[in-house]
Amino acid sequence: MSEARQTIKKNLANQQYIASDEIATVIFLADQLGKPVLTEGPAGVGKTELGKVWAAATGRRLIRLQCYEGLDETKALYEWEYAKQMLYTQLLRAKLENVIGDAVSLKEAADRIAAEEEIFFSERFLLPRPLLLALTSDQPVVLLIDEIDRADVEFEAFLLEVLSDFQVSVPELGTIKAKHHPMVLLTSNNTRELSEALKRRCLYIFLDYPTVEAELDIVRLKVPDLAPELARQAVELVNQLRSLDLKKTPSISETLDWAKALVKLNANQLDQKTVETTMSVLLKHETDIIRAKRALSRRGPNGGTRRPGPGDFDPDDWASYRMLGNK
Amino acid sequence: MDQRIIDFIAGLRAAGVRVSIAESEDAFKATGCIGILNKNEFQASLRATLVKEANDRPIFDQLFPLYFGSGGPPLLNLMDDLSPEEKQLLAQALRALLEQMRQNEQRRDMQQRQRGGSASAQNQLNNLMQLLQWLLQGQNPNPEMLDRLGRQAGVPRADHPFQQRWLEQRIQRQLGMQLLEQLLAQLPELLKQLGMSQKAIDQLVEGMEANREALAEQIAQQVGAAIARQRAESHRQQKQDGVDLMHRPFKNLSEREAQLLRDQVRRLAAQLRSRAALRQKRGKSGVLDVKRTFRSNLIYGGVPLELKFKTRRLKPKLLLICDVSTSMRAVVEFLLRLIYELQDQVASAHSFAFIDDLEDISQNFAEYPADVAIEVVLTRLQPGHYNTDLGNSLNTLMQRYAGAIDHRTTVIFVGDARNNYNNPRLDLMEQIKRRSKRIIWLNPEHPRQWGAGDSDMPAYLPYTHAIHRVSTLAELTVAVDKLLTTP
Repeated sequence: MSEARQTIKKNLANQQYIASDEIATVIFLADQLGKPVLTEGPAGVGKTELGKVWAAATGRRLIRLQCYEGLDETKALYEWEYAKQMLYTQLLRAKLENVIGDAVSLKEAADRIAAEEEIFFSERFLLPRPLLLALTSDQPVVLLIDEIDRADVEFEAFLLEVLSDFQVSVPELGTIKAKHHPMVLLTSNNTRELSEALKRRCLYIFLDYPTVEAELDIVRLKVPDLAPELARQAVELVNQLRSLDLKKTPSISETLDWAKALVKLNANQLDQKTVETTMSVLLKHETDIIRAKRALSRRGPNGGTRRPGPGDFDPDDWASYRMLGNK
Repeated sequence: MDQRIIDFIAGLRAAGVRVSIAESEDAFKATGCIGILNKNEFQASLRATLVKEANDRPIFDQLFPLYFGSGGPPLLNLMDDLSPEEKQLLAQALRALLEQMRQNEQRRDMQQRQRGGSASAQNQLNNLMQLLQWLLQGQNPNPEMLDRLGRQAGVPRADHPFQQRWLEQRIQRQLGMQLLEQLLAQLPELLKQLGMSQKAIDQLVEGMEANREALAEQIAQQVGAAIARQRAESHRQQKQDGVDLMHRPFKNLSEREAQLLRDQVRRLAAQLRSRAALRQKRGKSGVLDVKRTFRSNLIYGGVPLELKFKTRRLKPKLLLICDVSTSMRAVVEFLLRLIYELQDQVASAHSFAFIDDLEDISQNFAEYPADVAIEVVLTRLQPGHYNTDLGNSLNTLMQRYAGAIDHRTTVIFVGDARNNYNNPRLDLMEQIKRRSKRIIWLNPEHPRQWGAGDSDMPAYLPYTHAIHRVSTLAELTVAVDKLLTTP
């Protein structure tokens, strides 16, 4: 059993994704119980990424449905290609003449057209959208439903039906049943309360900002060129920034961007100047940058390479801040 | 194990986590898949199936070890590390110290002539001997023993986490931990005099400290689990009492019940929201919009293939005028909470509070989360006595905020219309009625009382399109639901 989990972890690691034990367990369960997984947590902690690597790790096709306000069934499920239908009608006009050609009455003509009707409402003119693609796929797929909290409640209700029976009905075609149960992963940034029915149906993972050690592992994996000492300092600094009261807290992806920037700049230590010039990679609001700089400027005069004593920082901002400093 | 999981779920529910039947089934399925050999996986599988709210995770993490813990870390046997001579020395030292303590205690008894506390001196010393045996030989107290200690300390009567620390300390006192402190303070010195090596002494004292902490942890787990169990039990009984707070009048709610209801409001709002959303959905397929249909179908040569419908504006624009005098506070609080939770279902909500004059409180709601905002508003407007004056407040509204009312606005009055015989200013009411889409009144009083005493309700009646009695949360919910139905 634990082997299965180890395998999942290994597969995800091969895709450059470091999964915690909890994630591995939940994915294993989702597979076993055939239940969707709902991941919540702050932006940029790797919720969407998880869906992508999961698909890659299992060799399945990834079908992504990005939710937004106003998304409705037709956009998520299927659309009729009216333009194509029109085009066919135009092109087949000659053929239609033949069909109706010797009809005596209008009624007879209409009957003949009606007999040919289903060609116009067949899968030929059906444009499958992500949900239908996931259901009708011949191969098992991973269906990633991104930011479900942005969709409207009625869409959520509709989704609930799809996720419980894995079948949908298209009025013109009848009911379409899934050939395989897709693996479903929903992500939510918690901008609104999801319905309890949906939550009941899913397994739940809360992804939070990683610990310093976990984030360091990620940086080592994704930005191997960064000096280990510097990587640790950088991650610790980001971790500290997260404890400030910022408008937009830096996420893992921003840590990685910053790490890459430090490599590009050939930085060999995190002195005040380096930090201040690259700060805009980490923080996306002017006020946040000012706040962080203010917190940083309380460091010692030799650019933060000495171990800070008490009184170097505002205790509110830099509680428990610890630089590695000189060895 | 199954019973354990059932108990655990009951404990979660008692602590306020909502776990449905389907979710508990999932938990069983999941643990069936995972097995119970690997504790981390077992925990992760329970968490993924039972906890669906980020805020509930701490509760889960706190309760899990109480139900599935090993009962705390085990004690280690320290005697194995000692040579026979050292054991001799230790026994000698302990005997001496215990004798000394006995004499001290007896002397104190003689002086004070009282048998104080939970145990007499002799008893305490006996307990201490037992404790030393545990700590030195690493004997773990068995569950029955811990249970008995807990009963003596009064654990079975506890059903709140607050009581845990206190009970733990009580059990520790019974065990003689205080005397142990004294003893441990003198022991190293004495052993040194007797000629034990410093290294062995340090090792021994450290080992005893570690064991003592492990024992404290075991006690903590025992007490915590008992409290969680009893809490689940009393919670079950409460549920059986069948108190339906939704139908309890606001004025009869205790603070604790009000708190329970506050937690309910979010769920209520979620229900209302989904109902409103479904109505919106139905409303979308309204009347055929000929102009848009023609325009968008020009690409198909004018054949109307894609039909466009008029989307009705279904989100009401609200202006709330709330009486926050003492009698009205609960109603207003719950209404504001509901409206706040439903912000995505209303086009805009502008809120005013009044007692004798009008205050704009929308700003507070823009700045703070609902809980804080309501707190701020209600402290800002200190209720006085017999000074409600709606007439004057209406005047202020028309003077300063008349622009906030247009033909799409639904004006909601929350209050008992008791004006202390001040001028009701029906002329202003007339103006508001003309300018607004409609006026709705929410009154917590029974219709029989309308018009009695200083109530101006009958006078205002002709100007309102609807009036709801809202004395309970259930009635309030119905009123708000109606409000969203007819934008």
